[in-house]
Amino acid sequence: MTSDQQPLLEGHTISKYFGGLAAVNNVDFAIYRGEIVGLIGPNGSGKTTLFDCLSRLQNIDNGQVFFKGRDVTRARPYQVARMGLTRTFQSVRVYRKMTVLRNMLISHQWRDTSILRMLQPSHASTAARAHQLLDFLQIGHLADEEAGHLSGGQRRLLEIGMALMPDPDILLLDEATSGVNPTLIETIKDRIRTLNEQGKTFLLIEHNINFIADLCSRVYVLNYGEKLAEGTPQEILQNEAVIDAYFGA
Amino acid sequence: MATERNQKENEARVKRKPLISIPAPVDSLLAGWAGLALWLLLLLLLALYPYTGVSSVALFVGSQIFVLVTLASNWNLIGGMTGYVDFGHAVFFGIGAYIMGILVTGSPLLISPEWGFWQALPASGVAAALFALLIGLPTLRLKGPYFSIAMLGTLVAMREVARVLRPITGGGVGLNLPPLLNRLGDYYLMLAVMGLVVSIIWWIQRSEFGQSLIAIREDEIGAEMRGINTTLHKIVAFMIAAFFTGTVGGFWAWQNTYIDPDVVFVEARTVEMVMMSMLGGLGTVWGPPLGAVVIYFLQDLLWGSLFGVHLVALGVLLVVIVLFMPEGILGTLGDRSSTSLGRLLSRVGRSK
Amino acid sequence: MDQLLQALVSGLLLGGFYAVMVLGFSVIWGVMGVINLAHGEFLMIGAYLAWGLSRLFGLDPFASLALIVPLMFLVGYLLQIVLINRIVERPHLMTLLVTFGVSIALANLFKILFDADPRNVAVAYNGSLQLAGVTFPIVKTIIFGAALLIMVCLHLFLQRSRLGKSIRAAAQNKTAARIVGVDINRVYAITAGICIALTAAAGAMLSPTQAIFPFMGPPFTLKAVTITALGGLGRIPGALMGGMVLGITEIFVSTYVAGIGTNLGVATSFVLLVLILIVRPQGIMGGLRPLEPEAE
Repeated sequence: MTSDQQPLLEGHTISKYFGGLAAVNNVDFAIYRGEIVGLIGPNGSGKTTLFDCLSRLQNIDNGQVFFKGRDVTRARPYQVARMGLTRTFQSVRVYRKMTVLRNMLISHQWRDTSILRMLQPSHASTAARAHQLLDFLQIGHLADEEAGHLSGGQRRLLEIGMALMPDPDILLLDEATSGVNPTLIETIKDRIRTLNEQGKTFLLIEHNINFIADLCSRVYVLNYGEKLAEGTPQEILQNEAVIDAYFGA
Repeated sequence: MATERNQKENEARVKRKPLISIPAPVDSLLAGWAGLALWLLLLLLLALYPYTGVSSVALFVGSQIFVLVTLASNWNLIGGMTGYVDFGHAVFFGIGAYIMGILVTGSPLLISPEWGFWQALPASGVAAALFALLIGLPTLRLKGPYFSIAMLGTLVAMREVARVLRPITGGGVGLNLPPLLNRLGDYYLMLAVMGLVVSIIWWIQRSEFGQSLIAIREDEIGAEMRGINTTLHKIVAFMIAAFFTGTVGGFWAWQNTYIDPDVVFVEARTVEMVMMSMLGGLGTVWGPPLGAVVIYFLQDLLWGSLFGVHLVALGVLLVVIVLFMPEGILGTLGDRSSTSLGRLLSRVGRSK
Repeated sequence: MDQLLQALVSGLLLGGFYAVMVLGFSVIWGVMGVINLAHGEFLMIGAYLAWGLSRLFGLDPFASLALIVPLMFLVGYLLQIVLINRIVERPHLMTLLVTFGVSIALANLFKILFDADPRNVAVAYNGSLQLAGVTFPIVKTIIFGAALLIMVCLHLFLQRSRLGKSIRAAAQNKTAARIVGVDINRVYAITAGICIALTAAAGAMLSPTQAIFPFMGPPFTLKAVTITALGGLGRIPGALMGGMVLGITEIFVSTYVAGIGTNLGVATSFVLLVLILIVRPQGIMGGLRPLEPEAE
């Protein structure tokens, strides 16, 4: 473990309430550069809400989030995105009426925020980068296809591509394998591993335990919005409380 | 359940086969440099038109059409491209008109010395843009129908305010501007403004800024999460649209030589803008100008003779278009993916 | 102190009227998901009908309700069949555009028919009563009473009658309502009839207190939206509460904002509306359906 370093993404006692209900309750965590960390838990345990809090789509009622050592508890979503935290969504958010390439370009448009740049069409070098990433994700041949025509798995890949466009430090993937056929799951797994070797950090929400076990060095388990356990995949799979939460009454 | 079915119905409606199909999607062809070249050529022809020795009535008609095209294109920037359907856009027209009226007459407030037309015209636009900033900061945070209603509220509230602020606006009595007839000057001024506005829209549409606006229309949360400062984009688009609408309002006040709250802050003018954009094709560059021309001649030929009836017809036409032709002329004839109303309809505030 | 009490009483009287004025709007929204931007125009039609009946037959506006309500019920019923049915449960934007079109068409139609000149309905009992130093204008007090009566009747109708239960069922779950044998289209048509009739009745009752002109509608539409945001969709107690809040706010603004406050009814209501929507997008009582985050 590299715990002596400063964490890349860190949460202190994060809480989020809906009405009186705590969707996320007092969760602490720390993710270090170069890790692949899993976030698991039964349905409704607050995983996606925690993602929304981290990517700043939801306001945090209590607690703090630090990204690269800076307090981003009150930042806007576009600000954390620009700092290098990108994400995908459980229900894929791609622009269905635009081409795959256009989708990729949109995710890159803020990179050079000068007004002169904004007044021009996307630069050729951006398109080249988009093509390169699409090829890497094995959907390069679909670049001119409307995103709405893609299969579920291809859309997931596209969304990962969109999250990669700005060259982020950490990617938050929300159920990257749900609704994806087994072959593509292997592709996704392989690409995540390659990216990780290139230095990208990942936080994954997953239901697919094998996927987690293969990729992650550490896992957090949420249940009813609270952190139930953390540890290596092997430890987690043998943890009684976790087994209870998943299979118990 | 209901949502899903709605969704499917909408998609089915959007995918319905076009009445006439044109092989090459007209709009995407014109969205490139070819479109701009044709537009500049048209502007040149229009600029030469007065030299053919036309009557001053024809010049007046010309400037009226240019006004409508400008308004439609402006509305389209916020309503069509950004997807914030503004039911109160006439408020910027009214503010521009009032700033013009107040500055050139000195108003009961007695500004002295009075401003000239050329100083007051940009001031009209700037005032409208500043008002857009002020009103946009709260209202652009509202989603879908609530934004539309809030803007309608702005319009009605400003009409009330204009009536109440008698010392400045002349209240219900209104303001009389100095009548200076210069049809040729009006013609060229509005031609220039129209040329500029449509070119700007063309430019925006192919720029990253415009693509970000479209991204906001299609999925605002997604756009924000991909690093686009949605608030800034929306406000800027809103202010651009307001600036030119205010400028046109100022010009209109000058040309009409009389303004009061009921002639400049009217819902009908908003409906006109919405209609022209929708008829032509929401979110396209050339659709709204086309729609504006069509609307003008429809009004002129069919209803112009019967005073007031054209506004009734306008309302009825809006209903008919929404129910039967939601994709507009360009969308109905050509490439459906080039227009956005169908998508807006299926996206903005699903009704359950 | 007297001024405060007077403002409070005037606000409550106005609020009672607002509550009955908003019912038609909020029930159509609640039951059919249609935001009726032509709401104010139906109120305007009701006021013109009262004016016409008073001119032609010398009918008292409150007596003329006996004619106006059935007539406008019919109008609403037919309108539902011809037009509104096409936009029920469709995206809000579509209902907004269509009803906005209807609103413009109606207002301008009435302008052609009756000119833009303001009309007035005169009633004999146009005075006011003094009670404990507070002025009660007779007409407004009658309106208040009538408003309460109408709300109690509507409440009983919705809660007790078979038809009323069908309407509530349709509002909550269309599919389930259909399964248990509710004829949805008929229920909708009747709902629209009731709502339009209610709105026109509110307009008729209003006629002795304010000038009637073709473009009087939009301010009422906006106030209806504000009250609905305050009080929730299709709820009678909510409408009453929302109406009271708006009525009192408006009167306070006109009492305490020197000079110009009197005519700032819409501006007040607008500020209130934007504040509510920003602070609580789902409305104060959670009545407005929240717009779902735009997921797939």
